[in-house]
Amino acid sequence: MRSRDCKNQHYGDEEMKAKIRFFARFRELLGTDIITDPLAGTTLAALVSNIARNNKEGYDAIFDEHGNFREFVILMQNGKRVETADAGTIMVADGDEIAIFPPVAGG
Amino acid sequence: MTIKVQKEDVDIGALISAAKTPETGAVVVFDGIVRDDDITEMELEAYDEVAVAEMEKIAKAATEQFHLLHVDIIHRIGRLTVGENILIIVVSAGHRPEAYAGSRYIIEELKKSVPVWKKELTKDGGRWVPGEHGHGAGKPGSAL
Repeated sequence: MRSRDCKNQHYGDEEMKAKIRFFARFRELLGTDIITDPLAGTTLAALVSNIARNNKEGYDAIFDEHGNFREFVILMQNGKRVETADAGTIMVADGDEIAIFPPVAGG
Repeated sequence: MTIKVQKEDVDIGALISAAKTPETGAVVVFDGIVRDDDITEMELEAYDEVAVAEMEKIAKAATEQFHLLHVDIIHRIGRLTVGENILIIVVSAGHRPEAYAGSRYIIEELKKSVPVWKKELTKDGGRWVPGEHGHGAGKPGSAL
């Protein structure tokens, strides 16, 4: 699955690759290991939002009615936690792995 | 130290033997097991690379804080049936207070921060087990 839906966040012509990994319920609704080619300047929030729009239930599980990440959603960029409140200002970089998941429940 | 996410079961006896050093006075084993909550099976999923890295961080912190001599953490994934092992934590210490406290610390921290999810499968479908600690508003660089 590929997405070129991030043109609204387009600040340049440089093409990149990024991998989106959803887990648990989000994976069931949206799939996982999705390779995208966002344009330079795409934010984490825009990237996830565009992919999630492929499934309404999946989108609604992650974003609230205002388009903000739901409070419990956890976001990682290359294995490092990112505050969802900052996802609208952090840019996706080439080769990024973005993970989105609900609260952990191991053990 | 063995820190793994894996499908296979674990030889707990072998882990206990390997955890003993000449300085060991106590070994504590935590064995988390699939409980029969009116389920048929349990499906476990992990963000493997991050889960292992996080468990390594927890093991290191526990070792330093409780002066542990040896730590193993093995979290299973895949489809498990009632009675099967989910999580094995083996700690070795000079004395029992450190061994018990270290083991308790590891399981409690693991439940907060290690990206693993459980789905209980029932005759009518399935339900994701809700996390005890999770929300997305924590500080980056903290436990998760």
